[in-house]
Amino acid sequence: MSVINNRLIPTVVAGCFAALSLVSTSASAENGDTLKAVNDRGSLLCSGHNGSFPPFVQVTDDNEWSGYDIDYCRALAVAIFGSDDNLKVVPISWAQRFPSLQSGDIDVVIKATGWTMGRDTELGIQFSVPYFVGATNVMMPKELGSTSPETLEGGSLCANAGTSTERLAANFFKSRGIEIEMITFEKSEETRDAYFAGRCDSLVGWGPNLAVTRQSAENPDDHAMMDVALALEPESAAMRQGDDNWVDIVNWMFAATWIAEANGITSANVDEHKANPADSTVEKLLGVSPGIGERLGLSDDWAYNVIKQVGNSAEIFDRNIGGESVYKLDRGLNALWSDGGVIVPMILD
Amino acid sequence: MGSVLGNQKTREIVFQAVVLSVVAALLIGMVMNTRASLEAQSLTTGFGFLERSTGWDFSFSVLPYSISDSYSKTILIGFLNTLLLGFLGISLATIIGVIIGLVRTSKNALFSMLGTVYVEIFRNVPLILQAIFWYSIVTQLPRPKSALSLGDSVFLSGRGLYFPVLNIAMWSVALMILLIIAWLFFLPWLRHKMNHSSSFFLIKRIGWILLPLILVLIGYLARTPDTPLLNMPALKGLNFKGGMRMPPELSALVIAIALYGGAYIGEVVRAGLMSVPKGQIEAGFVNGLKPLHIFSRIRLPLAIRAVLPSLTNQYVQLMKATTIGIVVGFSDLFMIISTSINQSGQTLELLAILMGGFLVINLSIAFVMNSINKKIAIKGYEVKS
Amino acid sequence: MTEASIALPPQTPFSQRIKKSLFATPLDCLLTLICAFFFTYIIYLFVDWAFLSSIWRADDEPLCKEAGGACWSVIDARHRIIFFGLFPFEEHWRSTLACAVMIVTFIASCVPWFWTTMKLSALWIAGFATFYILMHGGLFGLSVITPERWGGLALTLFIFAAVSIIGMPLSIVLALGRRSKLPVIAKMFGLFIDFFRSLPLLTILFTAAVITPFVLPGWLQGDKLYRVIVGFAIFFAAYQAENIRAGLQAIPSGQDEAGLTLGLNYMQRVTRIQLPQAFRNSLPAVVNQFVITFKETSIVTIVGFFEILASGSAAFGTGQWTVHYIEVYVFIGAIYFVFVFSLSRYGAYLERKLRVGHG
Repeated sequence: MSVINNRLIPTVVAGCFAALSLVSTSASAENGDTLKAVNDRGSLLCSGHNGSFPPFVQVTDDNEWSGYDIDYCRALAVAIFGSDDNLKVVPISWAQRFPSLQSGDIDVVIKATGWTMGRDTELGIQFSVPYFVGATNVMMPKELGSTSPETLEGGSLCANAGTSTERLAANFFKSRGIEIEMITFEKSEETRDAYFAGRCDSLVGWGPNLAVTRQSAENPDDHAMMDVALALEPESAAMRQGDDNWVDIVNWMFAATWIAEANGITSANVDEHKANPADSTVEKLLGVSPGIGERLGLSDDWAYNVIKQVGNSAEIFDRNIGGESVYKLDRGLNALWSDGGVIVPMILD
Repeated sequence: MGSVLGNQKTREIVFQAVVLSVVAALLIGMVMNTRASLEAQSLTTGFGFLERSTGWDFSFSVLPYSISDSYSKTILIGFLNTLLLGFLGISLATIIGVIIGLVRTSKNALFSMLGTVYVEIFRNVPLILQAIFWYSIVTQLPRPKSALSLGDSVFLSGRGLYFPVLNIAMWSVALMILLIIAWLFFLPWLRHKMNHSSSFFLIKRIGWILLPLILVLIGYLARTPDTPLLNMPALKGLNFKGGMRMPPELSALVIAIALYGGAYIGEVVRAGLMSVPKGQIEAGFVNGLKPLHIFSRIRLPLAIRAVLPSLTNQYVQLMKATTIGIVVGFSDLFMIISTSINQSGQTLELLAILMGGFLVINLSIAFVMNSINKKIAIKGYEVKS
Repeated sequence: MTEASIALPPQTPFSQRIKKSLFATPLDCLLTLICAFFFTYIIYLFVDWAFLSSIWRADDEPLCKEAGGACWSVIDARHRIIFFGLFPFEEHWRSTLACAVMIVTFIASCVPWFWTTMKLSALWIAGFATFYILMHGGLFGLSVITPERWGGLALTLFIFAAVSIIGMPLSIVLALGRRSKLPVIAKMFGLFIDFFRSLPLLTILFTAAVITPFVLPGWLQGDKLYRVIVGFAIFFAAYQAENIRAGLQAIPSGQDEAGLTLGLNYMQRVTRIQLPQAFRNSLPAVVNQFVITFKETSIVTIVGFFEILASGSAAFGTGQWTVHYIEVYVFIGAIYFVFVFSLSRYGAYLERKLRVGHG
């Protein structure tokens, strides 16, 4: 029994490469209509995770998706359909975010995705306005004695494969001439376990996720953050290039939660505000006076539904990351500009 | 009668032509469709990205590299890493397999029972789970500061196994290995050519004396100037510096593949050993051979000939199994391609390279093993398992 | 191959047999004792860790550190995630029932009474349909639960069953195609089979998940899960086809010629003469391929599905349970072992039985 036919296969390989050269294309943009596809399908396909990435994407004890990013997926589904029953969360790994988006397995990536030039230009991806900023930082055990980058000379660093932190960290240590061994993993759990098992001297991570990872250590006080942050990374939703209307919808979905917070509208009091709008912005936001829906191809009460069912940006933060969650992290830069943060709602006119 | 035959021939040819054109049409349709969907998303294709620098780092490499190296070099490193992992895993699996095969055919009931337990445990749990398990064991080893050491020269810690190496250039090592392989292939050829004459044994003896001398000479010439002969690992800061290193990712995978493959190869070897006719062994006894010689001269050679095709199959399987390296963070070809896809977006091209890489590796294994098989096969003497 | 084990003389007294097989020579004695000692010690270590010093209840988790053994609390608290993945909590009975139906189907198809094409197809179609209706819902007042919420053991079983159902008929077509008398057809099928056999499964699954949406027109794409299953099934069929082909080759050519002279057409000869014998010849290899396929379903986790391995890592993915991953992996390993071991024992049993039948 011969294992493999020796002569035929090279022919196939040659054929494959020939086919590849046939499909080479020149760039030409074409407007896709994601909203129409989503409506026809009757469901929104949003990015999940193959495991958990607390506090952004995780699985609760009763088998439901939850988390900060998942709440924004829900908000988008509510904006389109009026209910989050039509949301389908598709589990994907870090490295499969963009291929899945390109292939149409998901409509939008809302998954702690940093806005980088490479992704923006090379991957055929378009980003929304940033909805979260977080520092990329490095966590290390206190027993190393110091928290300066130089402490890690010759040590090792764990990272998630295919993420922007992977590139940031490689560049950061190279620019300082610090030799470091980088070990990358496909799943967030593997990365975290490798650090706690002592495989790596340090763990590069992003924003609240790193803080949560630290809290999940057996003794959180044994671990400290490096005294220099690698970068402050803006996180945006990612969509396929060439569908401006879809980008508008996602942008204004974020904006609606911010405008609601700025005007003190919460899921609890949204009905009162709708009955007695304080000013014309609130009127427009809640669909009392028309305009907010039609311009995006949605119904006029979409923002009202989002606030009623998911809440404003403060509620979403508190529920998943802040005071009402088990993590109890400070909102910091992710507060509205009026509270000392960097989030600036766009103008609703 | 003739016209009927002619008719059927014509029908067959027409039928085949139709099938062929349908397949061709399908393929062309797929190409057109791909083109259209790429255009719709304004994605560009082509292999130009291979020369761009990657900007990301990975854990293990057999060649020196930096984050400003190009995609093509990074992919080549992934390919070499896969080869190294496959080579180590398959070699160890073969050794374990032969031991297990022997143990399982042993007359001692306890031994054969242990062999069975081994095979059943390691064959019936998915390799991916075994790899994760060994990785968590290997990383539980002590930190570098309290590493287990052997005479202060070999260190074992959660960061891997460090051992001393000679301070000589890479090219000379490759040259030495080539020389040894050439000599080992030259011997049987010469034996065949000179038909076991006494001058052959003379050449053989001289060769065995000269070979080590030549190797030492090459090593001496290729020494890195101004360094001690041995490059010893030593603790510096957070980790060891110097020496040669086997990182835990690689160790865990090699252990997993060796134990898993060992169970399968053990079964193949067992089938081979049991296929050796009793008469052959008895003939050995009658001729006054010692038990060890009966094993090494009669049973093993016959067994190996009998199972070589099955063994080839197992090797190809194990080579393919190396793709699970990604679950423990080993930068094998699949992991490098997967990361490249995510960082560069050139999905189609990179997957074509991945497939091409594995076709090349597996075809080479099949080719080498098939040629060996042809050389040593005894006609009509083969078992399948 | 195992002639020796069958032909063991049963008359020898037990004690004598033990003596002969364990303590034949002094060296044997020594080796046996050393081996026995190590074996017992390893078993003791494991039993101590898993049973003697372990903690079982979820609420007792704080005691784990002190006990030093396995902390099965994590299984107690999170087993629902391991078994059901993201399946809605209040519908878990459906997933449980569906798994039970599937397992009964597996067991039933091992009973020789079912071994006719009709019965076997009916069994599998019925079993699979029941499984699908229970999991997916939409009928009999069950709420609809779409595949991206399926997970855990149910998803593993679903992938395995679907791959078998698509793969088996396909493998027969491939095997027959490769043995076709028409050169172009035989070459084409040969090329197809060899191509898929020389690639790692992971590559094929990755291609199915990521590339096929570019290659296929929109109406043919379907869900990612189904694409991956089809890719897996083709891989499975390429291997199974070679097993069946080996079985076909072992049939003496006179049989087919006899059918021809009786005036049977191609379909009749294939279904009545060739396939029944081919399956009989290749049954051990065919079962072995199922064993391998069941294990390989674990690779699906790398392309991002919530099968049992991925839901296992989600189970220890929250802060409280992070440290207890070994227990979860051992638990999942045990689940795999139960399935794979019974299947492979069954294969070995068949092999023995068939050999006796032939002899």
